[in-house]
Amino acid sequence: MPKRVALKDSFMVDTSDLSNFARAVSVSFTDDQVDVSGFSATGVNEYLNGPRTQTVTVTFYGAYGTGETHAVLYPLYKNRTTTVIKWRADQTAVVSVTNPELRGNAKLFSYGPGSTRGDTDTYDVTFTAIDAAGFDWFTT
Amino acid sequence: MTKYKVTGSVPFDGHQPGEEFEAEYDDDLEDRALERGSIEVVGARTSKKKEASNDA
Repeated sequence: MPKRVALKDSFMVDTSDLSNFARAVSVSFTDDQVDVSGFSATGVNEYLNGPRTQTVTVTFYGAYGTGETHAVLYPLYKNRTTTVIKWRADQTAVVSVTNPELRGNAKLFSYGPGSTRGDTDTYDVTFTAIDAAGFDWFTT
Repeated sequence: MTKYKVTGSVPFDGHQPGEEFEAEYDDDLEDRALERGSIEVVGARTSKKKEASNDA
């Protein structure tokens, strides 16, 4: 796949297409690094992978219209709702090997919009994978 | 299958604002989408969840 400039990304939350209200997506998959070191001649630590945490953080534009950012996101946080998120690089192309889609069941454990005088209203929202399937990349 | 119309300015499930489409959603997803105004049911039918509670 060639290099790209991020312009056509697709981001869907709870089946609503919030692509036009999002301007940055950051995925973080992290395993706890568990130290299982014993005595050794080299003294180098030995590790195993521990529990895995997967998050997707999106910078959204604050928008308070019908079906827009706040209307979609806040009820998910307020009601502790599990929802599906989907992100792929090119919304004009179908999901494929060269345009994989990240999907999974997520919850919002925090929600914090805000504003600064004279600035564009944006805020970050972090979706956390909440079941054993986790977030994964799909090609179909 | 239920017939819906995308309301507001945000595309829903691949359908553009104003577009009518048929789909089958689970009750909770449908209720959330109706509640926030993302979609509306075309015709007189209320949400499936409300129908179920009325039947009980």
